[in-house]
Amino acid sequence: MRKGMPVTVAGSVKQTLASLKGARATVETLASLENDAGSRAVLDRSAGLIAGVVNALEERTRALEFQEPQYKGL
Amino acid sequence: MPLWLNIALRSTGLFVFLLLLTRLPGRRQASRLTMFDVLTAIVLGGTTGAISLNLLPRLESGLIVLAVWSLFPLSLHFLSLKYKAARDVVQGREMVLVNHGKVLEDSLLQARLTAEDLLSRLRTKNVFNIADVEFASLETDGELSVLLKKDRAPVTAKTLGVATGQESVPQTVILDGAIMDEPLTALGLNRRWLRTELAKTGVAPENVFIGQVDHTGQVYLDLFDDSVAVSTPKTRDLLFLTLKKCQADLELYALQTGDPESQRMYGESSLALSQALRELEPLLRR
Repeated sequence: MRKGMPVTVAGSVKQTLASLKGARATVETLASLENDAGSRAVLDRSAGLIAGVVNALEERTRALEFQEPQYKGL
Repeated sequence: MPLWLNIALRSTGLFVFLLLLTRLPGRRQASRLTMFDVLTAIVLGGTTGAISLNLLPRLESGLIVLAVWSLFPLSLHFLSLKYKAARDVVQGREMVLVNHGKVLEDSLLQARLTAEDLLSRLRTKNVFNIADVEFASLETDGELSVLLKKDRAPVTAKTLGVATGQESVPQTVILDGAIMDEPLTALGLNRRWLRTELAKTGVAPENVFIGQVDHTGQVYLDLFDDSVAVSTPKTRDLLFLTLKKCQADLELYALQTGDPESQRMYGESSLALSQALRELEPLLRR
């Protein structure tokens, strides 16, 4: 672990990840309720963007868990 | 036949006749009465009264007046639906009173309006400054229509260049505590969905006076008991703020991390989120 880095990095990244997963679910719900095709396309595209970020963050948390094993599974 | 029976029969017959006659011209007439329509109505009304009260020496003369005054306007009405020329004669044409910001005195005189009349009519349209008027025309029913100069006109989302989401009419799904099925199905929803939404706010359907669902599926409730506070739907605002916070977090992680590989990942993720935020903003914020 690098010097000067907060010990709770894994924890806060996981928090962000959880918020993002919730946001993705909400966007997907809104998309399924949307009747207007244009708005639905926007919502679907945004859900895709958020999903990409979620994947990247999941990968990152795995790496962080490896670095800070004491926070594993937080 | 006794007099009272005679009058009662005449009145009943004319009542039905006038009822049918007034239904014939359709919706248009109700709000847009021209001078001609008013005249016809007066003649028909007067004659009907005279016939009903047996004031005329002969019944036929009254009936002939009624026939002429109902057939002519009706045929003119149908002609005016078909031909522009007939329309101009029957309904008159609208008159341009202000064009390119200049009052046309000749048309004003033709419309028998004084400058004060014009100003007072403009004031009823919330226009107090004649310099703000680009165009004004007197419609055939006497209403004044005003177009304001572009810089004086109310701003719209388009003039501001703001993107907006589509919005259609909200449906009223609960009235007086009763769930309405037809509007619900029009939105592609059902009773079970509504009960779930009500359970979320902790309100029984019997307590709801008016319940509306907008096209996004958000429920607005007005309760019988006005002292009970109902939480207004905030799903969209919350979603927007959550995404904004996540994006700020990612920027922070990008600054904190020493690893260039993950710094790049955080930066790209933050960019992706800000793009999503930009696209979602018109849909989520209003």
